Amino acid sequence: MTSKIINMVDRTKDAEDRLLESIFAAEPIADDGFSNRIVRRIRRQIWIRRLALPTAMLVGGVIAIKPALHLVTAGSRLLSAVPQELLTTPAGWIPQLPVMLLGGALLVIGMLGTRMID
Amino acid sequence: MDGDDRYLVARAVSAQDTAAFGELIRRHQSQIRNFLRKLTGDTSFADDLAQDCFLHAWNKLQTFTGRGSFVGWLLKIAYTTFLQSKRKSKRYSEVLDSAGHVAVIEGRSYTNPKDEVHDLGKMLAVLTEEERAIMVMSYACGLSHREIGEATGQPVGTIKSMIHRGKEKIRTNFDIEDHKHG
Repeated sequence: MTSKIINMVDRTKDAEDRLLESIFAAEPIADDGFSNRIVRRIRRQIWIRRLALPTAMLVGGVIAIKPALHLVTAGSRLLSAVPQELLTTPAGWIPQLPVMLLGGALLVIGMLGTRMID
Repeated sequence: MDGDDRYLVARAVSAQDTAAFGELIRRHQSQIRNFLRKLTGDTSFADDLAQDCFLHAWNKLQTFTGRGSFVGWLLKIAYTTFLQSKRKSKRYSEVLDSAGHVAVIEGRSYTNPKDEVHDLGKMLAVLTEEERAIMVMSYACGLSHREIGEATGQPVGTIKSMIHRGKEKIRTNFDIEDHKHG
């Protein structure tokens, strides 16, 4: 008896659920170029991302070139004002220099290699 | 279909294959647009949201683990996109306000079953936003309670009780049996 009642409740629930499904049901919406529009936007986004870094570097370079030239000129003038004996520092003052240079070169090569693997 | 979806997702992620993703959009755009149309009640606004949803989906495609269905994952993004846009957009609140007014004025006048979309709009307007999303996911999109839970971030028990409450509200406000015979 109890199981009969439970079954009836379940059946009523199912009927109501089916009814709601029929009310909520909608006709499929035709694509009509919708997906193509999104794909085009995505492709544009990919291109923008690819071009963003080189463009930023180029623009930055163009903006920075004039001040950088000024800086180099000012630096060379400053060097001419410094006494000669200070500039001719013996290499022995920095004994780790070759090691530092080698380390720096290895670091740059490593970074470039990682970038290429990426 | 699901296996195919997973294969297309894998292609789209590994090779940035936009054609594979385009195929995924073609397969699921109808369901996503229908979901958002029912949620917002505004066709063009819903389509804008659907576009945003697919763009978000593309950007975070690598986070799709393949545990649930792809359409469930998309519906989760669609729902999040809807909630985010709602916070930003005044337009949505205007649309919802007007839909709410119609429901209040014509709350028990569910007598024109021919105009299904309009009637469904009235029916959905008596539900809270969350109930509406859950009812649409369940009855229009055919998602399981578990999938709805994953999409909305709610436990399955909460989903069941919200569906129950939603049905109760619909039963109270509309004579849905008329729909069956009319």
